[in-house]
Amino acid sequence: MVPMEYYLLLSAAVFCIGVFGVLTRRSALLFLMSVELMLNAAGINLVAFSWFHGNLSGQAFTLFVMALAAAEVAVGLGIILTLYRNFDDIDVTNATTMRW
Amino acid sequence: MTELPPLTPQFVLVAAALLVFGVDTLLPDRDNNTLLAGIATAGTLLAAGTAAWFLSAGTGDAQFVQFDGAIIVDALSLFFVVVVGSVGTLVVMASHDYLDDADSVAEFYALTLLAATGMTLMAAANSLVTVFISLELASLPSYVLVSYLKRDRGSIEAGLKYFLIGALSSGVMLYGISLVYAATGVMGLPAIADTITAGTDFVGVLGLGIVMLVAGFAFKTASVPFHFWAPEAYEGAPAPVSAFISSASKAAGFAVLFRVFTTAFPLDVIAGTVIDWSLLFAALAVVTMTLGNFAAATQENVKRMLAYSSVGHAGYVLIGLAALQSGGGAQNSLVLGASMMHLLVYGFMNTGAFLFVALAEYWDVGRTFEDYNGLSKRAPVACVAMTVFMFSLAGLPVGAGFLSKYVLFAGAVQSGFAWLAGIAAINSALSLFYYSRVVKALWIEDPRDDLSLSGQPTGLYVAVLAAAVGTIALLVAFDPVAQTATHAADVLFAG
Repeated sequence: MVPMEYYLLLSAAVFCIGVFGVLTRRSALLFLMSVELMLNAAGINLVAFSWFHGNLSGQAFTLFVMALAAAEVAVGLGIILTLYRNFDDIDVTNATTMRW
Repeated sequence: MTELPPLTPQFVLVAAALLVFGVDTLLPDRDNNTLLAGIATAGTLLAAGTAAWFLSAGTGDAQFVQFDGAIIVDALSLFFVVVVGSVGTLVVMASHDYLDDADSVAEFYALTLLAATGMTLMAAANSLVTVFISLELASLPSYVLVSYLKRDRGSIEAGLKYFLIGALSSGVMLYGISLVYAATGVMGLPAIADTITAGTDFVGVLGLGIVMLVAGFAFKTASVPFHFWAPEAYEGAPAPVSAFISSASKAAGFAVLFRVFTTAFPLDVIAGTVIDWSLLFAALAVVTMTLGNFAAATQENVKRMLAYSSVGHAGYVLIGLAALQSGGGAQNSLVLGASMMHLLVYGFMNTGAFLFVALAEYWDVGRTFEDYNGLSKRAPVACVAMTVFMFSLAGLPVGAGFLSKYVLFAGAVQSGFAWLAGIAAINSALSLFYYSRVVKALWIEDPRDDLSLSGQPTGLYVAVLAAAVGTIALLVAFDPVAQTATHAADVLFAG
């Protein structure tokens, strides 16, 4: 049996890769993929500990999370499309008409 | 006699959204703006009215648990349905004129109604699963609404930033949920508290999970450290949407924050062993209100000033959580009730202020303080309303903002957080500076020569005046509403 700590380490690693991508990538599409990694890292935890605790609520929630992630990507791609039409680029650092 | 289901307000909002879609599908060629706005207004008004009726009839005392404990209808959730519903009504009424020549109005109203459904469900979420899903149900339509003006670069930029930070914070929050689940093995909020009381092996994981949960709530309530989308999103979005997000969405975020932290992680269970979150919220409250108010004081753009002031007000409301004490009893209900009260009052005065900005955008007068010079010569009635909002936001006794702030700060002092109340009072005094700049521009400065206002935006006018009447009426009728809020907090702590 794989100790639970390994699952936590794996999901933490995936999560950190996601955060790293969010902080460093300039393309909006890569940003979306990085966010997906973060959500799926949480999914690993949920499924692993669903098995550990012997109940199914974690696994059921993971299904909801996958659906929600898809919905979020749909909305995100729509926004990125209009971003491209207005700024001719999907570089998230380009859209800076407002500054404090 | 048949009984209405406890979730009637939410059902009404969904039904109204579907009706808007249906009407638009069946009558695609006609100009449906007025009809659709009517349906949406009726829906939000009915939802708010039903919730208020439930609240006064005592439905909230019983705690109706639905769907295996995932949803709960109690006084707190009904209270926030009233807040979201009344803000939604004002916003939809105002949108009618704002969207006069837009091409896809049905989507706008339907998305507003669906976002309102998500916000009302957030207030009723009683399990981490429903917390996350309702939060996303409120967020996803909001992203689209902010970037609604798809040929306006400001609106797209605002939507992009709102979406990026929203996606990031929901990722962090979901990871937090997974860690809490890892430590406890349950999703229901009361069950989590029971498991923590019984003891868990993963104290560190649980503490980390709780801190990450805060990220999602900080985003929704526009608090530090996830506040930096707020100025951009509020400035770039269509003004009615800014009003909706800054008032209703913030209130819903606080509703779910209150419930999660008082039900799942009660202080007397968790403070000694895992994490003392009241300290965390005290720090966040101080940073949020100070940053919001100082940044607001340096703005030249009225909408952006209101955005930062909205961050500042999130800081005041956080006092309600920061000043909770383990074993605080009735004092805890008083402070939390004061926070809820402030959110209700804020719903009216802040929505009104943003809708006045919408009115100014409708007239094309410009966005800076100087552009507002002498508006009172042309539109005195709306300017009286705006003056009421500004002074009420600053905490002067022309609107209910005075009383709600007073009760909140006094409650913090009584709980032994005099330093927190002191910082809040200093911030509040500073805020008078930038709020009165608007009033000065409206009433004292002379108008530009070419200032002329065209058009008869009846809906906008009615919404602004209704918000002003609400702000003043809450000052007069503060007592019963404050008792309702405190009672809702009582029920929350008792549950």
